[in-house]
Formats: sequence, C-alpha cells, structure tokens
Amino acid sequence: MSAVQVSTTVNGDAIDFVCQPTETLLDVLRNRLGLIGSKEGCGTGDCGACSVTVDGQLVCSCLVLGAEAEGRKIGTVEGLADGDKLHPLQKQFIDNAALQCGVCTPGFLVAAKALLDRNPNPTEQEIRYALAGNLCRCTGYDKIVRAVNAAARDVRKQQARKKR
Amino acid sequence: MTNIGSDLPRADGWDKVAGKSQYTVDYSESGMLHGCVLRSPVVCGRIVRVDVEAARSMPGVRAVVTATNVGNGRAGMLVRDQTLFADREIRHHGEAIAAVAADTLAQARAARDAIELEAESLPALTTMAQALASDAPLVHPDWESYALNPMAAELRRQGNVAGELIADPDGVDEAFERAHLVVEDEFCVDRQYQAYLEPMSAVARFTDGRCIVRTGSQFPYNIREELAAYLDVRLSDVRVIGQTVGGGFGAKLGCGTEGYAAVLSRAVGGRSVRVVKTRDEDIVTAPVRENAELRIRTALDAEGNMTAREFSCDMDCGAYGLETPTFPSILFHFAAGIYRIGPVRVHARAVYTNTPPTGAFRGVNGPAVYFAVERHMDNIARRLNEDPMAFRARHMLRDGDTLLNGQALADAHIAREACEAVQKSLPAVGARQSGDRLRGVGSATGFWVTNPLPGSVTITVGEDGRLHVLTGANDNGSGAVAMGLTQIVAEAMGVSTGEVIVGLPDTDLSGYDSGSQGSRTTHIVGKAALIAIDDLKTRIFDVARQMLPPGANELELVGGMVRAVGIGDAQVPLAAVFQMANFSNVSLSGSGTYATTPPAFTPGCAVGLTMPSLLTPTYHAHRAEVEVDSVTGNVRLLRYVVAQEVGRAINPDGIMGQIQGGIAQGIGFTLTENLRLVDGRYLERSLEAYRLPLAQDLPRVEVVLLEHPDSEGPFGAKGVAEPPLVFAPAAIANAVSDAVGKPFYKLPITPEDVLFALDT
Ligand code: FES
Ligand code: FES
Repeated sequence: MSAVQVSTTVNGDAIDFVCQPTETLLDVLRNRLGLIGSKEGCGTGDCGACSVTVDGQLVCSCLVLGAEAEGRKIGTVEGLADGDKLHPLQKQFIDNAALQCGVCTPGFLVAAKALLDRNPNPTEQEIRYALAGNLCRCTGYDKIVRAVNAAARDVRKQQARKKR
Repeated sequence: MTNIGSDLPRADGWDKVAGKSQYTVDYSESGMLHGCVLRSPVVCGRIVRVDVEAARSMPGVRAVVTATNVGNGRAGMLVRDQTLFADREIRHHGEAIAAVAADTLAQARAARDAIELEAESLPALTTMAQALASDAPLVHPDWESYALNPMAAELRRQGNVAGELIADPDGVDEAFERAHLVVEDEFCVDRQYQAYLEPMSAVARFTDGRCIVRTGSQFPYNIREELAAYLDVRLSDVRVIGQTVGGGFGAKLGCGTEGYAAVLSRAVGGRSVRVVKTRDEDIVTAPVRENAELRIRTALDAEGNMTAREFSCDMDCGAYGLETPTFPSILFHFAAGIYRIGPVRVHARAVYTNTPPTGAFRGVNGPAVYFAVERHMDNIARRLNEDPMAFRARHMLRDGDTLLNGQALADAHIAREACEAVQKSLPAVGARQSGDRLRGVGSATGFWVTNPLPGSVTITVGEDGRLHVLTGANDNGSGAVAMGLTQIVAEAMGVSTGEVIVGLPDTDLSGYDSGSQGSRTTHIVGKAALIAIDDLKTRIFDVARQMLPPGANELELVGGMVRAVGIGDAQVPLAAVFQMANFSNVSLSGSGTYATTPPAFTPGCAVGLTMPSLLTPTYHAHRAEVEVDSVTGNVRLLRYVVAQEVGRAINPDGIMGQIQGGIAQGIGFTLTENLRLVDGRYLERSLEAYRLPLAQDLPRVEVVLLEHPDSEGPFGAKGVAEPPLVFAPAAIANAVSDAVGKPFYKLPITPEDVLFALDT
C-alpha cells in the first residue's frame, strides 16, 4: 500500500500530512499530528471519546479515514481554547466539576460545541440527546449537562455583546 | 480558612479540558516499540504447540515471547496463582499465550496473527455448579503449592474453592426451630464490567538493569510487587511511575498490560514497549465484578422480630483469584445488614471456574450482598404486612450494638438519620398505576467502610515557598488527590490550593501507598498529610522563630506567611524561611504515614476471615422512584434520593460527582449493563453491546450530605466513593418490585424480565 498525501485544515491551521490509506483520522491526529486530546475509547464508534468536527459536522474520528480529511476543515478539542483563554464550555466544565478521569471530556466538549453552534439555546432534554453518542463512566452526566447549559448561557451573552 | 467544605476546582482540570492531560496511551518514549498479546480462543484446554517462527521473521518484529522464554514467575493479589502466559494449561477464554513487539502496532498485530497455536480443548467448568461437583477436575491442580501474600494468611482454600468463610454461631438451629415464620429467598447477580474509558495500557523499558514502567494504575506499589514476582527480580528492581488514570473503578489495581510490556522490553534489550488493550480485549480480560448466587433464610418470632439468619453465597472467581477470594469475608460483615437479627450463620465461597477472572469493582461484593439483604428485608416486611421502612426501623442497630464480628458500631443512629432524610425528600406512597405505566418506590439502607490500609505523604517547602507533595496515591479521577488531598494540605498549611503541587506517584520516590481502593485516599492519605504537616510545621516554626522578633513563641501559618500570634504584624514569608533553613542545615520537609487502627473484634467469630474488622464506617440511605412501562418492560428512574454520611465534606461538589457517578454505575448494574457468559465466553464484546447508561437514561440525583466528623479523619473526612454504587441496586430493585407488584430476584432486571413478571 502506498501512502497518501493529504492537505487539510486542523483548528484553522493549514496542514499537510502523509498517511496510510487505511489509517483512521483519529490515528493521524494522535500519532502523526501530536494532537492527543482526541481519545480512543473503543475504535468502533461506540463511545464518542474521539469526537471531532469535519466541516462543522460531528463525527467519530475512529470511523473516518485520514485520507478523507483532504480539503476539509477539522476541529478538535485543541482548537477550543484561544491560547490561554478557555472556551466557555471548557471553563464551565471546570467550574461545574463536570469531569473526573477526563478521558471522555474532549469528546463531550467537541460534541457540546457542535450542539451550541447549531442550537445556542438548548433545553436540558436537547442537551442530553445531543450527548447520547458520548459515554462517560465517571460522572453520571448530570454535571456535564449543567456545564453545557451554563456554557450555552455564556456563549449567548458573548454573542449579544458582540452584536451591540 | 475556606479550603474545607468548598467547591474548589480540581487541580488537574485545566489540562483535562484542554486535551493536554497525558494518559498512558498518550505517553511515548523515543525508539518505542508497540506490543500486543495473543489470547486463547479456547475456554479450557492444553497447549499442544505454539509456533512463533513465522511471526518472528515478519517485517518490523523485534521479539515474540511465550511462557517458554519468560520464566514462570507467579503473582496474585492474595494467592499467587497467575503466570503472565499460559504454560501448558489454558484456563479461560482470552488467557495470554504469547506477546509480540514490533516497530508499529500494525506489524505487531500481523505477527501475532501469524503465530500458530495448536490447543486441545478440554471439557470446561463454566459454571460454579460444575466446579463444585464432587467429581469436578481442578482448575488449579497445583493449588496447594501456590505462595500466599500476607493478606491471605487466614484464607481457607480447598480445590476449586479459592476462598471460603464459615461462621457458625450458637443458637441458629434453635431459633429456626422456635420460629413463627421463616422467610427464604434466593438471589443471583451477573457480572459487571468496569468500563473505564481508557483501556488498560502501559509503557515499559529497562534502564541500568531495572524495569521502569509507566502506567495509569490505581495502585502503583502493587503493580511493582506483581511485576517483581512475574519477572522474578527484587522488588526494588522495578520502578513504577504513575500516569493520569483514565478511570479504573477497581480494575486497575493489579497488572493488566504492565507485565507484557515489561517482558517484551526485556526481550528487546530494554527498549521501550507500549502495550494498549483493544476494547474487545479489555472486556474479555478485565477483572470484572463477580457473578454470585445468594441464599438467605431468616427466622422470625410471633412478634415479627428477626431471631436468626442463614446466609450462603457462592461467587465466581473465574480462572484466577485476584481479589475475589477475600470477598466471602466482606459478605460475612454485611450478612445481617445494619439490623439486630440474633445469630447469623454464614457460608460463603469464592469458586474457581474456567471463565475470565473476576476481581475488584468499586464497592467489592457490596452491591450483591446489599441487593440480597435489602430485597430480603422488603420481602419479609411484605410477608408481615408491615411498611418496609418501619420494619427496618424496628430492627436497626443502636449505638454500641455489635456486628457479626463482635465489633461495636458506635454511631449506628446515623443510619436512622439517613432513612429519615430520604423519607422527607421522597415520601414512599405505595405503588400506583396510570394507564400502561406502573410506579413504585424502593429503598435501601446500611453502612459501608473506609479501607484502612497505609499511605504516606512527604511535603517539602520549595525555594519560592510553594508546597510540593509527594505521595504514592494516584487520583483515579475521583478528585481524591486533585481536590481532597490538595485542599487538606492547603488548609493545614494556611495557603490557597494553587500553592500546593501534588506530583504523580513514583515508587522510587514517593513512599508506600495502598492504592486508590476502598474509598480510602482522602481519608488515609489526607491524614498522613496532616501528620506530615505536624512534622513540617515544627521545622518551619523553629527556623522562623530565629527570624521573628523575640517573644514570638506562638506561631501560625496564614496566607503563605509565618506569623507571630499577638505580636503586631510580625511575619515572614515561607520563601524566606526556606532560604534561612537552607543555610541552617534544616530540611524543610515533613513526612507522615497513616493506617487506621483496627477496633476490637471477637477472634473465632468466623473461620477463613481475611479482614477481621470494619473500619471507619459510614451510613447511607437510598430511595428510588421508578416508572415501569408495562408494554415495553422498560424501567425509568423518576427520582433518586441519597442521604450519605461523609464524616466531613472536603469538597461537596466532588462528593456529588462521586455520588452521581456511583449511582449511574448502580443503575447500569441493575437495569442495562449485561455481561453474559455463554459456555465460558462473553456475549457482549463492545461498549455498544454492553450498554452503559447514557445521558438520557439517568435521573437527576438528589443528595443530602450528613456530616458527622470522624475523630481520626482529616478534618473529619471519611470515605465517600464506593457507597453510592453499593446501595443503588437494592433500592432500584425494590422500587421495580414495588411497581410491578412482583419480587425480582436477579440482576440485571431486563425489560424481558419485567414483561415475564407481568405475565405470570
Ligand atoms: S473511539 Fe471512536 S467512538 Fe470510541
Ligand atoms: S470523566 Fe471519566 S469517563 Fe467521563
């Protein structure tokens, strides 16, 4: 098998990489690009720990090939913070103690960001359903749901301020 | 100060939300190879031939190892019954046969698949009944020759019985003869998988003849002990360095991948090797919660008082013991629940079978024993036509009453307080029906313990006055270190938590710790920290006195300053004290070690008792309200209320997280999770099939924290992490039984079970 060359954008940065045609996007991110935030909890699309966005769409990066990133925009947990300034979701996860072991956290953050991008004012039910693809074994989800709810409020405030 | 009882953010939170935390799977070393393990497709058998020649010559392959070339070191938590690889006998599906190290993981896997294994299948003992039959072959024909660890000194073993406990007090038969009523129930529970999100993983290398292993283990010092046994080297020739733990819940107390990484590294001349389990492999080989069968009979007199009990239980060890042989002792302690019953006869066995080994899972054995005890209490109350909580209240232990081991329970009244608290939040109203929906309420109460095993802490003042904390305790995710220990140290040293830096464990540096198990870390390690601080403060104050005006006798630490009490504003910063100490031949560091002193108990209360007493008890009441869909059989939790005694809450939000997470695991164990063995193999082999609860499956848990500071615990704190899981299955199963109007005796309760009960 010959390696393929891929040009893509990751968290806003133009990036070229070479990978095997069978290699998953998750492996490319973790092993070739050093972006270890996305985790492999299963490798079979069951846990959501590897969640990233491809052109704004939430996907399990363990089910996507690296080669499929060609010409796309990839978003990972590493792209959420602006330098040292955490995204409201990240800040609320800390403030609400919405993480324990933290392995699920990057996936939840990416999934929650995708939710807020399309629905800035979700109900608790909508949050729970939007996060149904992400497993957490530690927290029982309640604090995660509260954190997303609080972050949604923060994001709405931010946007209102920008509009003014 | 405000560090205790405050919802301060956890110390490792920033890295975790930024995606920067380094778990073992993220850790690599230069020149690192990748390893993987060939596992037995056979349930029970004999190895005829393992041919690794083809595998060895495949591209990128650096080493292939089997039992023949790694030696036969045996290890185990209690009984050293395990080798890294099956030698001749294969005792369970998934047992390791060989391991491969190669330049890439793909190469390692390809070579593993090229290993030729010829194994003869033998009839397998896949159930406890088969293993206990009088003519059953032995899973371990050489069981008598296995070495025992000190914890196993009292263990009673015989053939396929890996651990047996017998308590036979006087008066049981007489009480049953006199009984007005005897209530008898049989329960069974299935296995439960810990399902931590980070699969087991380790990176090992050899440097200067010593084995150095990185692993996100809950118990680095035990990993070191097991590795030294497997490798047949001195304990101190192994160094285990902790990584951030990606969840464990008991499964990461013993070796999972560490041994394979280590022998592969040794085989390649010491180069680093990383071994990570795939999820499928992790499910098959995790030390899951044991399946068990429990039988209880209780004698009652004409007034409806319990007068005696018989309790027997068989629990499945699987093919190797791990922690399970000690579970009969745990069952013994809780066989009466928190009630006055009279004499209780207990017979409990841990049984070897040809199935994947079981082991420690949060609240070891507790969910099963309390499920049986508290379901049984409901059944008795129903037979007596009495309200289940009133029946419980009538029998509850009072302060100073003794437990089955003769130990006095000084503060049993807290359990009543807990029951009253849940009753207030969620009054039980009796089963109701509306359309297809059946509603019911169920409760459970009792006590649990805090693991007493030793831990140690060293605290050093750095040049800039910050505090460096060295401990062998790892934060398994619970926050016991990142919140509990950090806040305790900050409070006692009069600084903010930002001034406290806790390093990861390292068995070369940190001092012994008994691991994150049994809800012990905050209590034990926190206390060890306070002892260390006593030591440290004396040194700080001795040096500071030379720097403060004469007459500064009484000193205190406030805001990073040493301050003289009562002498205006005379104070010196810790950083300055360090400078002075550094040139006065004083080391500004203090150490402490702590283990709970065991209370008095009655020797001879039972034979085979590996843990004679229960330490630092905590008290609990749970109440669940469920809605059962009589068309689909689905059970939904409407409300869940917990009253939990915690001693003193160091970080209430952190405790809430433990309670919510523990309840979620309890709900999973009771309703959705299922790890079924069919002829010695698991049916569920992926997270999807295993069915962990999802965000939309869970209720909002309402919590009442009861604080009764423990005289020994740091600021009064006791263990908190396990009990939520221990009592949840009983409460939910009681609620479902109440709603359906039929008793449920088996966990998990599946929709099929519910529909079957409704139909009969
Ligand atoms: S690793 Fe991709 S869904 Fe689990
Ligand atoms: S915090 Fe551990 S899995 Fe979610």
